[in-house]
Amino acid sequence: MKYIPTIGIECHVQLSTKTKLFSEVDNDARGKEPNSCVSPVDYALPGMLPRLNGEAIKFAIRAGKAMNCKINAHSRFDRKHYFYPDSPKGYQITQFYQPIIGAGHVELPSGTKIHIEHAHLEGDAGKLTHFDNYSLVDLNRVDTPLIEIVSMPDIHSAKDAHDYCKELWRLMCFAGVTNGDLYNGNMRFDVNTSIAPEGSDKLGTRTEVKNLNSFRSVERAVEYEIARQTKILEAGEKVVQQTLGWNDATGKTTAQRSKEEAKDYRYMPEPDLPPINLSKEFTEKEAAKLPPMPADYRKKFGNVISGDTLEVLLDYPALMKKLDEVCSEYVKSMSNLFASVLLAEEKSAEYLNDLPSAKDLNELCEMNEKKELSSTATKEVFLRLFDPQMKNRGAKNIAKELGLIQENDLGALEAIIDTVLQKPETKKAQEDYKNGEEKVIGFLVGQVMKESHGKANPSAVQEILRKKLK
Amino acid sequence: MEINCETIKHLAKLSDFDLDEKETEALTHDLQNIIKYISQLDELDTEGVEPTYQVFEMENVWRDDEVLRQDATREELLALTKEEKDHQIKVPRVL
Repeated sequence: MKYIPTIGIECHVQLSTKTKLFSEVDNDARGKEPNSCVSPVDYALPGMLPRLNGEAIKFAIRAGKAMNCKINAHSRFDRKHYFYPDSPKGYQITQFYQPIIGAGHVELPSGTKIHIEHAHLEGDAGKLTHFDNYSLVDLNRVDTPLIEIVSMPDIHSAKDAHDYCKELWRLMCFAGVTNGDLYNGNMRFDVNTSIAPEGSDKLGTRTEVKNLNSFRSVERAVEYEIARQTKILEAGEKVVQQTLGWNDATGKTTAQRSKEEAKDYRYMPEPDLPPINLSKEFTEKEAAKLPPMPADYRKKFGNVISGDTLEVLLDYPALMKKLDEVCSEYVKSMSNLFASVLLAEEKSAEYLNDLPSAKDLNELCEMNEKKELSSTATKEVFLRLFDPQMKNRGAKNIAKELGLIQENDLGALEAIIDTVLQKPETKKAQEDYKNGEEKVIGFLVGQVMKESHGKANPSAVQEILRKKLK
Repeated sequence: MEINCETIKHLAKLSDFDLDEKETEALTHDLQNIIKYISQLDELDTEGVEPTYQVFEMENVWRDDEVLRQDATREELLALTKEEKDHQIKVPRVL
């Protein structure tokens, strides 16, 4: 029997606000000592009250708009109770009843639309490290603002699950609401998978794989679950609804300790935080700050840049923004330089933080188009534009200083060619060419290049030579 | 809503409380009374009435996104915990 998988994904995105969601403490704990970014509020000391970060509201509006979602005019916070050492309060502040972000959709590169059920703001938990007979708690991450994005069960293949997660990552990076550092868990995915016989109108029993932190592991975990569940059903047995963990090394899911049921969380309205009531003007003003999204770039550049190159570049918001700034006639050659030269560089990550000006890039493309720079020389000047020692001099000056400008001036070229043709050592080659030996043209071009100290444009030289030797 | 010893034991488990039989019975009795008392509200017709989530009528109480110096240092805060190790809070092993 053929089974159709149905997948829904919950994604947690860490927001890159300066401070935490409920306290005025540094939200960027990267490279900092454990428990060094913690306040009495994070410790939940008696009498401490949460103080809502207004910037997180603005980030949520932008994130919601990036996913074509409705922004709810009224939202509020709730307490979700659970007892675990990663949460000193004994509960998580989240939005259970009235989330800030309503329904919307994300369009995958393939054109498939995945619907968003809702997304809400909440505080993250602390980090636990387990040892043989004790665990250590670092509260730096407590109440880092998160947006939890809940998709509809709209996904029907492991590949689409992968593409959806990747597109979400891009949307959040383009919207500028997260650092998007997957390695450090800035985005984490919980994946619900079930399978049902083709044509069935009922969904099968689902399992939830928690805490995946790469697109690849999402894809692999879904593939594994589809295969595992298919085997169970084909053996005439039943899939057990459970929470699973993913082991990247073994490529298998394993059962985790059973968590509480929803009612065990004893949700209640958070009494310490007044509701959020957004005016239409406020929401529209924030939404207007949303820069162009991947879908906008696909529309704009889809006919200019090859699909593969475009999808590679869409992983880098800074590059797309820069491409949008250069002259439209140079977008194609620039996109190739970005994809095949810049991203191939060892230091590309560093370079991305400080891209050359659009003026320099336009100048570079113009020189290349006018054949003042060969393609090799164009690449060289392009890379020099990232060199801290040279970049401020501008593309044109760099090309001149490096002696890379090709001689295109026909008069000057002809003079050089005439000099070469006068030389006795080229006489035989000239004779051979006239007698039909095509190949020797290469030798003559080489002589001219030598005479011009490499600055002549070889194709122009060849053309003139052919005319002269007719 | 029925409150019995099992309800109390379940709640105690969720909150990681150790209760003996006597405490369980006493709490069952207390919680039954509390629920009964509060249930009087069920007599009211609240059809069409907006739920009250807070009584101060405030909204949009937000602060700026600026890091402020905290009143307590890391050392002072860690000193409040039962046991610390390598600037972290040491707890019994959990998984």
